[in-house]
Amino acid sequence: MTAIRTTDLTKRFGDVVAVDGLDLRVREGEVFGFLGPNGAGKSTTIDMLLDYVRPTDGTATVLGMDVREDSEALRERVGVLPDGIGLYDRLTGRRHLEFAIEWTDAADDPDAILDRVGLDDRDAARSVGDYSKGMQQRLALGMALVGDPDLLVLDEPSSGLDPHGIRRMRDLVREEAERGTTVFFSSHILGQVEAVCDRVGILADGALVAVDTVEGLRKTVGAGSELRLRVTEDPGVDIAAIDGVELVRSADGFLRVACSDPRAKARVVTRLTTAGVEILDVDSDDASLEDVFTAYTTNGGVGNTESEASVPVEEVVP
Amino acid sequence: MTVSWRDVARKDFEDAVRSRLLWGLTAVFVAFLTMSLLSAEQLFPEPVTVDAAMALSGVAMLAQLFVPGIALAVGYTAVVGERRSGSLRVLLSYPFSRGEVVAGKFAGRLLVTGTALTIGFAAASVLVVALYGVPDAATFVGFVAVGVLLGLTFTALAVGGSAAASTRGRARTLTIGSFVGMVFFWKPVVVGIYYAVTGSLPGVRAESWYFLLKRLNPLEAYRVVAGAVLDERVDAVPEFPLEDVPANAPAETLELSNRLAGEVPFYLADWFSVVVLLAWGLVPVLAGYRLFEDADLG
Repeated sequence: MTAIRTTDLTKRFGDVVAVDGLDLRVREGEVFGFLGPNGAGKSTTIDMLLDYVRPTDGTATVLGMDVREDSEALRERVGVLPDGIGLYDRLTGRRHLEFAIEWTDAADDPDAILDRVGLDDRDAARSVGDYSKGMQQRLALGMALVGDPDLLVLDEPSSGLDPHGIRRMRDLVREEAERGTTVFFSSHILGQVEAVCDRVGILADGALVAVDTVEGLRKTVGAGSELRLRVTEDPGVDIAAIDGVELVRSADGFLRVACSDPRAKARVVTRLTTAGVEILDVDSDDASLEDVFTAYTTNGGVGNTESEASVPVEEVVP
Repeated sequence: MTVSWRDVARKDFEDAVRSRLLWGLTAVFVAFLTMSLLSAEQLFPEPVTVDAAMALSGVAMLAQLFVPGIALAVGYTAVVGERRSGSLRVLLSYPFSRGEVVAGKFAGRLLVTGTALTIGFAAASVLVVALYGVPDAATFVGFVAVGVLLGLTFTALAVGGSAAASTRGRARTLTIGSFVGMVFFWKPVVVGIYYAVTGSLPGVRAESWYFLLKRLNPLEAYRVVAGAVLDERVDAVPEFPLEDVPANAPAETLELSNRLAGEVPFYLADWFSVVVLLAWGLVPVLAGYRLFEDADLG
C-alpha cells in the first residue's frame, strides 16, 4: 500500500508553475526524504497533500484517501509539522499539547510528549510567546506526534533547531519509523536527510528529478568516493590515467582525486610514492550527497557533474 | 467522536481572554458609557428634564459608532490573523473543516464581543439608576438587547471580512471601509438614487422604497429598533441634512407614517429592522466563508 501517491499533481500561481506534473509514490512504513532547494515546490506539494492549497491539475491520495474529498478524515491519521508555523502566543506549551490531544481524540500524556521533544515542566508552563524559535519548533513537533499518527509529515523540521535539537528530531524520526509510522520529511539540507531516510526524492523547479536510496543516488551520479592528499608540491605525475580515477583537481596544496572504484585509491597512493612524491596526509571520503544534490538541482543535470565544480579549483594538467 | 466548531470557539475564546485587547476594549467601553451617560443632558439642545429613556437615547446615538468599533476591532483579525501568523496551518493539521474554523471563530468572537458589551452595559445600568432614576425594566432590557444585537452584527461583518481577506490590511480595509461607508456614504448614495429616479430630493413625503433603502443600512436599522424600544428618536451621527425637509419640522411630521402616501408596508415596520440586523449578522459570514473555502492558504 502507498502512503502518498500523487498523479500529475500541478499547481500554478498565476504564471508561475510551483509544482509541475508531480508523480510521487511514498511506500507505507518508509522514511522518505523530500529534497530540493528553497522554492523548488516542496512546501506547495505538502500544502496540497493537506488541502491548504488546491491543485490546478492532477490528484493526490494520502493513506488511500483523496486529499480533497477526504481531507478531514485523513488529517485524523496524519501528524503534521507545517513550514512557517505560528503558535498561540498567549497559551502555554502544555495547553497547546492538551488541545492537540483533545483535537486528535488521543489519550497521550502531555508530559511524555514534552519529554520526547526535550521540553521540561518549566518550559511547558510558559506562554509560547516567550519561546525561542527552536522551542516552538519542538513543541510543534510534539503536537504532530500526538495521537500516534500513521503518517508524519514534517516540512523543514530542523529550521530553528540547534544541533542538539536536530539530533533529537532525527532520533524521533527513527523511533516513529520503528513503530511503523511512515515519515515524509522535506528539507533543503542534505545532511539531515541522509542519516534517516530510506529513500530520497529530489525536487527541482516543481518536478521530481530523481527518486532513489541515498546509496543509489550516489551510484547514479557516479561519484564513488574522493581521495584527498596533502602534498608538498605539484606531483607532476599522470594520476588521471590510473584505472578507476575519474577526476583530479588540485587546490591549496591538496590533491582531490575522485574515484569510481575504491581500489583506485591505493593505486594512486602507490603511484605517487613510487614517483617519490612526499605525501603529508591522506584522507578519504564518500562523495558528499551535497555534490549529488548540486548535480541534480542545477541546470547541468547528471551528465555534467564534473563540470559543476562549485569551488574554485583548477584541473591538474599532467 | 470528532472535532467540531466548538473546539475552535473554545480555543479562540480562551486565547482572547488572555489578551489585553478584550479587557482594554471592555474598559474603553465602560469609560465611554460612563462619559456619555454623565453628559447625556448636554446632548439635548433645549433645557429639558432628561429622564432615563432620553438619557439612553443619547447613549444609543453614540453607541451606534462605538459598538461597531469594538466589534470590528475584536473581529477583523479572527481568521486572517491566524492565516498570516501560520497558526492556521497548525489548526488545520487537525481534522477541522474550513467551515468549522469560520463557525468556531465566529462563535468565539461573538462571545468576546458579547462579554465586553455585557460588562459595559451592566456598569451602565448602575449609572442610569444613580443618575436618572430607575428606567422601565422592559425598556432597559430592550435597549441592551439591541446594543448587543448591533455588536453581534458587526462581529459577523468583521469575521466575514477576516475570512475573505488574504492579508490583515485587506481585512481592515474591507471591514472598517464598510463601516465608514455605512456611516458617511449610505444616505448620500440613497438620496442620490432617489434624485436620479424621481428628479427631486426626498421631501417630507417620499416613496416607500426610499425608506427601505435607508433602512437596509444596519446602523439605520439599529436607530429604528433602538428608537422604537426607547420611544425616543435616535439620530444618525453624523446627520446629513440631504432631505428636502424644513429644519424646524416638528417631530410628528417626521414620523414615518406621516411621510408615506398609504399604509406602512411590512418592510418598513420596526420588526423588519431586526431582520435587517440579523441578515447583516449572517450574510457577511457566509460570503466570507465561501471565499475562505476556496482560498489557497499557502
